Amino acid sequence: MSEVHVYDMIAVGGGPGGYTAALYAARAGLDTLVLEKLSAGGQMALTEEIDNYPGFEEGIDGFTLAEKMQQQAERFGARSEYAQVESMDLTASPKVLETSEGPFYARTVVLATGANPRELGLPGEAALTGRGVAYCAACDGMRYKGRTVVVVGGGNSAAADAMLLSRIAKKVILVHRRDTLRATKIYHEPLMQAENIEFRWNSVVTELLHADKVTGVKLKDVHTGEETTVPCDGVFISVGRKPATELVQSQVALDRNGYIIADETTKTSLPGVYAVGDVRTKPLRQVVTAVADGATAVHMAEEYLAGGE
Amino acid sequence: MAAINMNTEQLQQAMNGEKPVLVDFWAPWCGYCRRIAPVYEKIAEEYGGQLVTAKVNIDEEGAFAEAEGVEVIPTLILYRNGKAVDSVVNPGSKAAIDQFIQEALAK
Repeated sequence: MSEVHVYDMIAVGGGPGGYTAALYAARAGLDTLVLEKLSAGGQMALTEEIDNYPGFEEGIDGFTLAEKMQQQAERFGARSEYAQVESMDLTASPKVLETSEGPFYARTVVLATGANPRELGLPGEAALTGRGVAYCAACDGMRYKGRTVVVVGGGNSAAADAMLLSRIAKKVILVHRRDTLRATKIYHEPLMQAENIEFRWNSVVTELLHADKVTGVKLKDVHTGEETTVPCDGVFISVGRKPATELVQSQVALDRNGYIIADETTKTSLPGVYAVGDVRTKPLRQVVTAVADGATAVHMAEEYLAGGE
Repeated sequence: MAAINMNTEQLQQAMNGEKPVLVDFWAPWCGYCRRIAPVYEKIAEEYGGQLVTAKVNIDEEGAFAEAEGVEVIPTLILYRNGKAVDSVVNPGSKAAIDQFIQEALAK
């Protein structure tokens, strides 16, 4: 293995956690690379307006904020590569990341892979994504102007999605497997009062009906087992998120929900490997907490690198 | 070479040329479209020798998008000799776009 380029740090994932790690690392003089499969920002890139990231008093859209974070890190010498990581060997020395653009090598790795919307796991769900199946009301809602949509879920994001869609769509049908919402109380009243929101309690979606696109869903009552068909033009699935940890599950310790176990130091169970942002076990998953993780990870990585391991 | 925003007329001209034409159907209000835009520029650089990489704003070229059956965006369609070879909706990574192009070119 002669002449391979070994980075001091590679961040896997170009969201706020990954690019803040890159910024701090580059400013600390570390040879730094960010591997991102699509574009900077991660989940944040699809957020239309971020009003709780301090310093932008009028709010800022997530895509622009992400681009700014990328440019800021690159200004100090961090590099970015559009590459999908296919496998990692985090115990090797140097650590190896196999990607769609070939292998990359690093002394430390910051796992900033984030989380993705949880799927229902129904047949055809993946193929129908973008053809009636959606996971982001703020992104895709406008396509359903004047039409009928189903929202699946009962938590805060489902409630917020249903409210948003009720202002766009003709009719919103909220499907929840329990008989009451898990969402915070502030959502309940406006939802109940919205004239075009209908509730289907104690129900689960058992089938996506479709031709080229979604035409309806089949619902099952969890108590009686009775099945009904509900025609609709779109299905918004809002049943939580899952951490993107498939590639590291056999290497670093995860909690039972699949998040990488790491405390405030961002240190994982492996030396020289750090977890930042939504992928880490933590009480609050926000842009501000992700960027804090990124800074901490670099501090820890510098100690590790100085130890000469 | 950068990806070129084209109207229907320019696109039809491009399709009469030798190279296959890759079209990214997008709109300014589409969040997913913004996300693939930087990668699409990279694709335009990398495949510039083999492909014409075009972009069509469906708000401005609605009739063309409709005629092509584009109902959701972002959609990429690869055309050869003016005919659609294959399409992909909302690709999730640069790797997914690379794979789409390579498979479509092989068809």
